[in-house]
Amino acid sequence: MSRSSKFSSGLMAAVLAVCGVTASMGASAADKVTVQLKWLPQAQFAGYYVAQSKGYYKAEGLDVTIKPGGPDISPVQVIAGNGADVVVNWMPDALAAREAGVPLVNIAQVFNQSGLMLTCKKASGVSSPKDFKGKTLGVWYGGNEYPFLNWMAKLGYKPGTDIKILKQGFNVDPLLQNQAACISTMIYNEYWQVVDAGVKESDLVTFFYEKEGVASLEDGLYVMEAKLKDPAFVAKMGKFLKATFKGWNDAVKNPAEAAKIVVANDMSGSASEKVQQRQMENVAKLISNAGTAKIGYLEPAAYERTVKVLLAAGSSPVIKKDPGKAAYSHVVWEASAK
Amino acid sequence: MSKPAGLVSQIGHKAFPVLVILLFILVLWYVAAVAMNAPGAIERVLPTDTPWTWQQLVGATMDMQRPVLPTPHQVARDFWSSLVDWPINSPRNLLFHVAVTAESTLWGFVLGTLLGLVLAVLIVHSRTLDRALLPWIVASQSVPVLAIAPIVLVILGSLGFSGVAPKAVIAMYLCFFPVTVAMVQGLRSPQKIETEMLHTYAASKWQALLLLRLPASLPFLFPALRVGIAAGLVGAMVAELPTGAVAGLGARLLTGSYYGNTVQIWSALVMSALLGLTLTLVVAGVEKLVLSRRGGQT
Amino acid sequence: MKLSLVKALVFAVCSLAGACLLFIHPAAQGKLPEGGSPDAVFWLASLVIAALAVESVRLLAALDGSRWLGTATAALFGLWVLYFWQLLVVAFEVPRVLLPPPGLILQSLGEHSEVLWGDFVQTVLKAVLIGWALGSGLGFAVAVAIDRLPFLQRGLLPLASLTSTVPLVAVAPIAVMWFGFEWPSKAAVVVLMTFFPMMVSTLAGLKATGKLERELMFSYAASYGRTLLALRLPACMPFIFGALKVNATLALIGAIVAEFFGSPTAGLGFRISTEASRMNMPLVWSAIVVAAVTGSLVYALLVQCERRVAFWHPSVRGL
Repeated sequence: MSRSSKFSSGLMAAVLAVCGVTASMGASAADKVTVQLKWLPQAQFAGYYVAQSKGYYKAEGLDVTIKPGGPDISPVQVIAGNGADVVVNWMPDALAAREAGVPLVNIAQVFNQSGLMLTCKKASGVSSPKDFKGKTLGVWYGGNEYPFLNWMAKLGYKPGTDIKILKQGFNVDPLLQNQAACISTMIYNEYWQVVDAGVKESDLVTFFYEKEGVASLEDGLYVMEAKLKDPAFVAKMGKFLKATFKGWNDAVKNPAEAAKIVVANDMSGSASEKVQQRQMENVAKLISNAGTAKIGYLEPAAYERTVKVLLAAGSSPVIKKDPGKAAYSHVVWEASAK
Repeated sequence: MSKPAGLVSQIGHKAFPVLVILLFILVLWYVAAVAMNAPGAIERVLPTDTPWTWQQLVGATMDMQRPVLPTPHQVARDFWSSLVDWPINSPRNLLFHVAVTAESTLWGFVLGTLLGLVLAVLIVHSRTLDRALLPWIVASQSVPVLAIAPIVLVILGSLGFSGVAPKAVIAMYLCFFPVTVAMVQGLRSPQKIETEMLHTYAASKWQALLLLRLPASLPFLFPALRVGIAAGLVGAMVAELPTGAVAGLGARLLTGSYYGNTVQIWSALVMSALLGLTLTLVVAGVEKLVLSRRGGQT
Repeated sequence: MKLSLVKALVFAVCSLAGACLLFIHPAAQGKLPEGGSPDAVFWLASLVIAALAVESVRLLAALDGSRWLGTATAALFGLWVLYFWQLLVVAFEVPRVLLPPPGLILQSLGEHSEVLWGDFVQTVLKAVLIGWALGSGLGFAVAVAIDRLPFLQRGLLPLASLTSTVPLVAVAPIAVMWFGFEWPSKAAVVVLMTFFPMMVSTLAGLKATGKLERELMFSYAASYGRTLLALRLPACMPFIFGALKVNATLALIGAIVAEFFGSPTAGLGFRISTEASRMNMPLVWSAIVVAAVTGSLVYALLVQCERRVAFWHPSVRGL
């Protein structure tokens, strides 16, 4: 690789980028779809990667770009800044963003069950939610704090006075090093990181949001409201959903294959097949409609449950008013089922 | 040190102290590793029901799955395997990530240097800009651009920039400042007598810039470039964090931290130090070349 | 001289006041009809104001006088930048998620002043101040020790310059692992970031005395310590202050970035990252303003200190 050729190719790329910007303003990209994930490439998003690498998107005539997320990436921000057509997000964050003036609409709900939980060490003296008082609890921010704050408000605990909150990094170290009594974990991911680190499951206490009655809907697909007025966009996203659901069905059926595909898509070279396969197996449990005609359909009842949970959060609710039926739409899902 | 000495004793004279200190650090590192990993080892590695000896404890701290401080040999092993066990274009090879990070660093460095040069020339030639802009350039550095990198990336993304461009912009923001300040100093460094002489030759402003000011500013420019490229590397690595940990040394650090792979964090750290060292050495080499051709008036 | 100053100031104030009249225009208030764009009147007025702005800054900059004038020029320039930022962001309806207008940021500064004060205490008064003092102090002490013991200098300096190339932001996750989530972990990152610049500058400063002065001390039969105190440390002062100034911004950035990797629920870095994901951009920018103003003030304060301490030094006198 000679330096000059590298430089000239870089220069070309820069020129092309500028041209690309101007061109994309002129021509409409008919079948380009950019999807922004909520987190790093992992089995949590296996469906998209499987659909991509098995050519399901291509078969629908789509050119799909999958943008991985990360701790400092807010999918809402990306879609508001026009960096994506569709984002994977949790409902509390999406509804809060809606209230803040970013009109997101749910077009499909892939996960019907919540995988969020608090994992505590028995040694810290926590055996029921009553014991949280005076303890240090780890929480993710970046839109994932809403379910937690909501639960604490329901319990009547004031963050800062009754409990101490840590903004958790991206790993389970605070629990391993006893910096926190409990940390937020997902049943398909961080919980197993704790176990892998050598902590016995019998030494752990877990609290599932689902069981505590404070669960809210997690991974769903959201688009900007204004775009749904465009029938071409709806048709395009319908194709996108169709291929995506196909990918999810495959991933649920064959976790080992899905794990391989996910690892191949991880450009940081840190994911391992063993871990991703286990994650996929646990993710599969959250997609109860996999393999049926109902996959990805947002049940209005489930949506209303989430809204009720979010509105009921005492003094500092996540959302202040019921967004009503405008926050979700079945139009795209119905287009995909045709 | 004026006593004439053979090459061997010269190297010995230089290397011996470094080796002693290195050895000292290594010993300290091992001791610290035992001390810091012990609580975790007692809790998670050693049997909880039977008593264990302190030899077992030390042994357990040497090769832990998730150490608080990995031992030097753990880091060395991981570093080596990430260099030779995978093809060079595989995301598991550290060199692949070095290339990604170096690319955005160099782009940022080139752009930042150019921006710094242009700003400095403008400031030196325009009194208005000198008075109005220079204080703001100084103030610009107290804006924590690293902290707003995610926002900058979103803004640039909405303008249609993706890939290397946003990372290069953040690296550029950190690069341009030292270059600007040093070049303003450098371009003003010629003595009055020299500027007067050009004046008597009826030289234009451009000629004065090219023939006198720019050559005179070179000794000021190079130290700033050394600072700038190191700053650009930091900028590029931090900019990799919010781009979704796609690739690059910054992304390696992030995913290492995320998957609890402490050893990977340390290898990435060592690699980024080596990359930083290489970049600064390259700049220093260019400096030697250029300044020696000017007759060594440093 | 006096007259031209008055003229420049009056011109600046008048053009600023005149410019504010444009805010009556519906486009500048963001009250355009759906899909409408600003009319020709708006653009013409903006162009005229732009010309006025350039002229007013030029007039003020052309004056000779005290340092106070320089500050005034920079301030006027800043005001104009803010003015056009407000005007154009509103007129082009730039989404607030990307860039809020300055008016909103100011309003949010007022509304959230208590929260931001708490963040300021957490980040600046604890992490930055302690880390900066410790890091700079250690750098200074090690430099003096190295200066005294050549063996250390030959051993430590190459290694120290190697560590200086580590992008120290990368140490943040490790610091959180070792020192917990509270301010000590951020202070540790700051110590690492500020240590090296201080050490290098102090070493350079200690070597900055001329042969003539050192010979003089020798002829007085002054001891090493005496020479250090009476001659070399004073001569070193500009170098030390230079490093302190660089370190101030480094410390601020280091602490803020370190808070990204895990923090208690207060701190400027925590606020910026949390509120950014909540789409509360005015508050994010308020936190950024707090950080930037803090950095600039500390810088100015250090410049003033340097003038007091090293008033005799050519680099200070020459200003």
